[in-house]
Amino acid sequence: MGNNRFMQNAVTGWMVPHGEHSDIVMSTRIRLARNLREFRFPIAFSDEQAEEVGRIVSEALLSTDEKGYSYTRMNELAPLDRQALVEKHLISHQLAEAEQFGAVFLSEDETISIMVNEEDHLRIQCIYPGLQLENAYQKADETDRTLEKKLPYAFDEEFGYLTSCPSNTGTGMRASVMLHLPALTMTRQINRIIPAVSRLGMVVRGSYGEGSEAPGNVYQVSNQLTLGKSEKEILAELANIVSRLIAHERRSRELLLEKSRIALENRVFRSLGTISYARLLPAAEAARCLSDVRLGIDLELIEDVDMTILNELMIFMQSGFLQHYEGEALTSEELDISRAKLFRERLQKS
Amino acid sequence: MLCENCKERQATVILMQDTPNGSIERNLCEKCAFNLQTFSISPNQEPMSIQQFLSQWLSGSETLQQQTREVQTMPECPECGLTFHRFLEIGKFGCPTCYETFRERLPKVFGKLHNGNTIHKGKIPASFNEKMTIKKKIEELRSSMQEAIQEEQFEHAAVLRDEIKDWKQKLAAETEEEGGSEHGE
Repeated sequence: MGNNRFMQNAVTGWMVPHGEHSDIVMSTRIRLARNLREFRFPIAFSDEQAEEVGRIVSEALLSTDEKGYSYTRMNELAPLDRQALVEKHLISHQLAEAEQFGAVFLSEDETISIMVNEEDHLRIQCIYPGLQLENAYQKADETDRTLEKKLPYAFDEEFGYLTSCPSNTGTGMRASVMLHLPALTMTRQINRIIPAVSRLGMVVRGSYGEGSEAPGNVYQVSNQLTLGKSEKEILAELANIVSRLIAHERRSRELLLEKSRIALENRVFRSLGTISYARLLPAAEAARCLSDVRLGIDLELIEDVDMTILNELMIFMQSGFLQHYEGEALTSEELDISRAKLFRERLQKS
Repeated sequence: MLCENCKERQATVILMQDTPNGSIERNLCEKCAFNLQTFSISPNQEPMSIQQFLSQWLSGSETLQQQTREVQTMPECPECGLTFHRFLEIGKFGCPTCYETFRERLPKVFGKLHNGNTIHKGKIPASFNEKMTIKKKIEELRSSMQEAIQEEQFEHAAVLRDEIKDWKQKLAAETEEEGGSEHGE
């Protein structure tokens, strides 16, 4: 298989600012969980069944008209490379850990990834830049329809798509939107918003889904329910909540500019200084500064930094990618040095 | 840490085992924990909240003993061997057949997880839709044919038999071509 092309670049389709509200919404992701009728779920299947599932799915994909999928088994990748794919949001943590039988099909532009033998036999994921719930769903749905013609899905009239975890049963769909909400965070309004959103059947989390802490003020909003509502209804409800969050964020940004412009400019340019000149850059500080600089660009306080580079740095600053880039395992101090160097280089180029 | 049992996968579950000499901690992967059904597990990982949720639901009620007895006497899944009790503990189904095995209990589970919703309202696979309609039609024709035979209306029964044959051919074609045509939602 040689070098995986998706390991060469940090920038992938969803990171190029595009789509509606791309100053606040970073990306939109749709994930469909599907299983094959005749097989036990990955939590309980035998090694032979695991191999067989992998084989059937490969055959189905290769026999479709959809060309250009690359196929990679987790056991072909070093742990650091798997981590880098997780950091790029192309595969899940759980797939990275499914060392023996996990695999991923990636479309050429990396917008579609089909994970095999994760928690379910299939996880179809579509990730687009900006707010594009409809488009992302259409693309995922199209892929699903293509596969459905070849694969005997586990489906039940009453319960819908059957999944290993009962929290996915029904549509098997998780739709999520990644939002940069610095003004709501600075003004602490986010603490009131998170519980309110969860009462509406949606979940707000940090961008990588761990706990509620949001490094870099990036939050992920997704649907909790998968049963009893159609895909369209779920998407409409999510879109509604996201548009309200965007409006709130915009109002808070305007207010910040109006009431404390100097303090805001000070913060934004100090952060730009830090990431442009630091020699040691810990991850938390890097994430915080990136958020400030991004806000500075959005508010047109900073004009000569390209947003695409910021997006790239957001991914590249993570430990998996840094180590992949340096080609070796690094200690935490070495990581901070490497991160500072990378930031200086990338920001000078712009 | 590697799983004590298979020594291949990462241990993500701590399993407490009661022995005469006190309780022992065993570090297992999800899969081995699933297969060692006699133990009760406690999660050491955050994404297990559903499992905690379900086991709390099982133990939180006043009629705990009665409920537990009921749950323990439920049949295990013929395909993967999962018991309902075990399902509540790990919060995961073992295979598609589990849904069939525990069907009567599931509305309660789903109701809790999905805000009172228990019936799927979304997308239906096109092939499933098409085949279901044909199968239903064949079933209907069969029972009318039986009726016709019992009423000794043999000519009518023969017509029905031919009709069934036609539908069966359509079903076979549908299965064979595996969706050569496009279907709407």
